[in-house]
Amino acid sequence: MKILIATSTVPFIRGGAEILADNLQEALSAAGHEAELVSIPFKHYPPDRIPEHMLACRLLDLTETCGVRIDRIIGLKFPAYLIPHPNKVIWLLHQHRTAYELWDHPAAGDLIHCATGPVVREAIRQADRELIPEAKAIYTLSKNVSGRLCRYSGIDSEPLYNPPSNAALFYKGSAGDYFFFPSRINSVKRQWLVIRAIAQCRERVRVRFAGEPDNPAQQAECVNTVRELKLSDRVEWLGVVSEEQKRDLYANSLAVIFPPVDEDYGYITLEAMLSSKPVITCSDSGGPLEFVVDRETGLVANPTPESLAQAMDALWTDRQNAAAMGEAGRARYQDLNISWANVVEKLLC
Amino acid sequence: MLKINWFSPLPPARSGIAHYAMQVLPVLAARHEVIIWTDQDQVAPEVHQIARVARYDPAAPPWRELNNGTVSIYHMGNHPEFHGGIWRVSAQQAGIVVLHDLCLQDFFFMLSVHYGKDRTGYLAAMERWYGAEGRNAGEAFCAGGISAESMALKFPLTREAVGRALGVVTHSRQALQELNEMPACPIAALDFPYAAAEESRYRAWVAARGAVPGPPYRLVVFGYLGRNRRLGALLEALAAIGEREQFRLDICGQLWDEGQVRTQIEQLKLNSIVNLYGFLADDQVEQKLGTAHLAINLRYPSMGEASLSQLQFWDYGLPTLVTRTGWYTSLPEEAVAFVRPEHEVADIQAHLRAFLADPGAFRVMGERGRRSLIKNAPGRYVDALAQFASEALRTSPRVSALALARGVGQDLTKWLHPDAGPYVLDRASGEIFTVFEGHK
Repeated sequence: MKILIATSTVPFIRGGAEILADNLQEALSAAGHEAELVSIPFKHYPPDRIPEHMLACRLLDLTETCGVRIDRIIGLKFPAYLIPHPNKVIWLLHQHRTAYELWDHPAAGDLIHCATGPVVREAIRQADRELIPEAKAIYTLSKNVSGRLCRYSGIDSEPLYNPPSNAALFYKGSAGDYFFFPSRINSVKRQWLVIRAIAQCRERVRVRFAGEPDNPAQQAECVNTVRELKLSDRVEWLGVVSEEQKRDLYANSLAVIFPPVDEDYGYITLEAMLSSKPVITCSDSGGPLEFVVDRETGLVANPTPESLAQAMDALWTDRQNAAAMGEAGRARYQDLNISWANVVEKLLC
Repeated sequence: MLKINWFSPLPPARSGIAHYAMQVLPVLAARHEVIIWTDQDQVAPEVHQIARVARYDPAAPPWRELNNGTVSIYHMGNHPEFHGGIWRVSAQQAGIVVLHDLCLQDFFFMLSVHYGKDRTGYLAAMERWYGAEGRNAGEAFCAGGISAESMALKFPLTREAVGRALGVVTHSRQALQELNEMPACPIAALDFPYAAAEESRYRAWVAARGAVPGPPYRLVVFGYLGRNRRLGALLEALAAIGEREQFRLDICGQLWDEGQVRTQIEQLKLNSIVNLYGFLADDQVEQKLGTAHLAINLRYPSMGEASLSQLQFWDYGLPTLVTRTGWYTSLPEEAVAFVRPEHEVADIQAHLRAFLADPGAFRVMGERGRRSLIKNAPGRYVDALAQFASEALRTSPRVSALALARGVGQDLTKWLHPDAGPYVLDRASGEIFTVFEGHK
């Protein structure tokens, strides 16, 4: 089959969605299909830009190329999943979140700060309600995303899990004296919350952060907070690390911390499980909660520095329990039968 | 229940719309969550008792807090001091616009040219809605070559005030249609809200009137008496009928040009019949209206707006002469006596003679007006306003769609040859419709 993967990207920003699109292309090719990425550059501000991008997607004709039919489109992200095609399947990574559950989020909300925010929000919601059902089948990244799609748009869908990149290469090392928090640095991933939690810990816990900031100001804010709280000797900013370094950091950590706001899915949880590490997450973190079983494969804290600090102290002082939780996490991953073969089979059915 | 952002003049502002707000807000706040937004320096204490009063800076509105509301309701009138800030917010954020004045030419001229020193902005608005003719007229008006009245009638600029509206509320649909300024969004014409006095008070007024049955019969003119209130025609009509001694005319309210009115009264030898009272306190107003026999409530040209004075006259059970124009044309024939603008003096005289011939028929007319106030009950108004706002909110994606369509149209015309055919525009408009309106 000739298959196009339709997604959107913010230039110079690379995260889980971009990796997923690459991996999907690879999996489709491995299954014997011709697959290419069509990526729409997306600028989400000012709000009036958004309907323009939606229209741009609707005006694309991807039914054929050079007279040859394109058999299928797999739509991943807003607004690229609005591109029309008679054989479109949507594998929804997420809707435009600030038009939905992040609308009034104190840190992430952006449309809410703009005069035209409400009408653009309604336009996005209307388009989603009307146009997502055009697809022959609707899958989502996770139960969390399916739940939102049903709650806000009244559309049923099926969650379809996928493995992290190079899943087979993750391994278990020795449990070192640090928590590992690999992620893009921004307010929604909540590095700031972890920093404030460190200040509340009874133990002298250490956290190693890996990943780059979405913009330099957000990193500067975190660094300033660390300085103000006098935590410089307990926090390490690793910046961008290679995939190999990342696997080593997972393997040799005591545990992984991943407390984002309502994450869609969260490869970090799965990578931690593959590395036999327990995961500390929060009760409002979304996707990770589909995999972390509280006190079995990790700890679920309240999204407060105090509660997070308690969880960090608990694992820091009971390493045997931490190791057992990590092993349980690895076993749970195996039970879930998460594979690209399964993803490809579903998307092309 | 809606979460409503309410923007209007508030007491102590000397604005009829502030008075209107105090009729509506207590009922509205009892049924919905209301935040009253203001940029006035002072707000009367009684307003704070109705709902939370929040300040805003028109130059930097607090969008986050405003966007937490379900809908914003903006009240527009012609006074730049009272409505300038409201318009600046409404021009950026879609909401329900309540038009208290239907000709807003004076508002935009004063706001832009007089206060804002922004002649360019005013002329751009004139061109936007009326093309080159509008721009030329605007330039001539700025130079003093055209009267304000003719500008208001020919170039009302009403659509400039409702460009981002999700819905428009007027108190006179016909008047808006006559203006040829219909906005693209849904429109509702609601009966102007008015809380009628208790029946016992009304009976007391009727009794007071009955105690001094006349002749002479007391005629009353009341309110802010601008140039369009036709005092000249009324005085002329009164002076020219033989039965004039059977009337006394009380003119209550601030006059546009008191000197000119006094001169005319003297010239027409009406000094013994006509009294000027100026602005009256509430108890004095009650005394005057409670003992009057016939109210004169003429307006020409009309800005189309509903008349609070008319509802007050009816509250007192007063028969009224009104001009057959604007909002007044929607009034029931049996509750007022109409004066044709082109036959003003003759019609006034005919009605005055009819009154003398059968005062009882006019008394019945006033009673009918009083009974008609039931449809102006603030509760009914609030429910209709909230229902309209809820319906208008459902069309809010259309605001984005129209803005997008305008942008696409403007872009395409820059590079698309006029003979290129409609294909691209049809595709774009078709997809805009699909995206924002669905497939139905």
